Amino acid sequence: MATAKLEINAEIPSVSKHVTQSSINQFESCGILDRVNIHNDPEFAQQRLGFSAPIASGRMSVAFAAESLRKFFGPQVFHHTGTINLKFLRPVKHGDTITVSGTVTHHEQVESGTLVTVDILCENQDREKTAVGVATAIVP
Amino acid sequence: MTAPKLKEFDYDKLEIGEELGSYEYTLTQEMLDNFRASVDDPEAAFPTLAVKHDATAFAMVYDDKVGTVNAGNEVEFYNPPIPGKKIRVTGRIADKYWRRDMPYIVIEATAIDEDGRLLEKLRTYQLKKPDEVGRKWQPQS
Repeated sequence: MATAKLEINAEIPSVSKHVTQSSINQFESCGILDRVNIHNDPEFAQQRLGFSAPIASGRMSVAFAAESLRKFFGPQVFHHTGTINLKFLRPVKHGDTITVSGTVTHHEQVESGTLVTVDILCENQDREKTAVGVATAIVP
Repeated sequence: MTAPKLKEFDYDKLEIGEELGSYEYTLTQEMLDNFRASVDDPEAAFPTLAVKHDATAFAMVYDDKVGTVNAGNEVEFYNPPIPGKKIRVTGRIADKYWRRDMPYIVIEATAIDEDGRLLEKLRTYQLKKPDEVGRKWQPQS
């Protein structure tokens, strides 16, 4: 990656993802426990949350953020030194489009390279924040 | 194989540092393909995110009649998992606390593959009062 990308306020590539109940269900199908939950079963979501429909797992947003960060740092860096810390602020549901953006806020020299910190923001189609957090990676 | 008897989840009795034991599974190409399709990213490398290692470790020990909402995740990536390899996951209760009169637990899981490669460390902050979240976010008709 170019050194310029490490500059403070550099923006990571934004990604937008349209979330559907089908994509939510497919994500849930990757689990090794076959069970209903608030993501894949409307009745269960109603019972536990009082919601009329399931909501997406927050981990889908982690995966969306991971794509942005991989594109920014490159897989050789991000897949071996990357971290993501996200707080979920608002439910994501069928029909939402989630856009991940991020900005470099800090960098410092560490033993194995430059530790780069990125502020992460996930917003829905109404520009409402669905998740915020911080990610890091060490660039050799 | 008989499924092990689950313990009934009781927030007050849960102990910080409690080990949730470990389990193994084999990551399949189908799991990786499904994960990539679900997040619309053909190069996504960590289908372990969708396996939910920590929550799975918890669900293998506790019968949770309360339910939960995921308030946050912390993930450290070390090596992408390889389809066909066995993955061993170890889980523990890392913390529990109250914030704004709401009970939270923190579950931690570490994943290592059959060759001893560290894959991922994951922490989930679970709010153990999901109906409160429902009341906050469900539009009232």
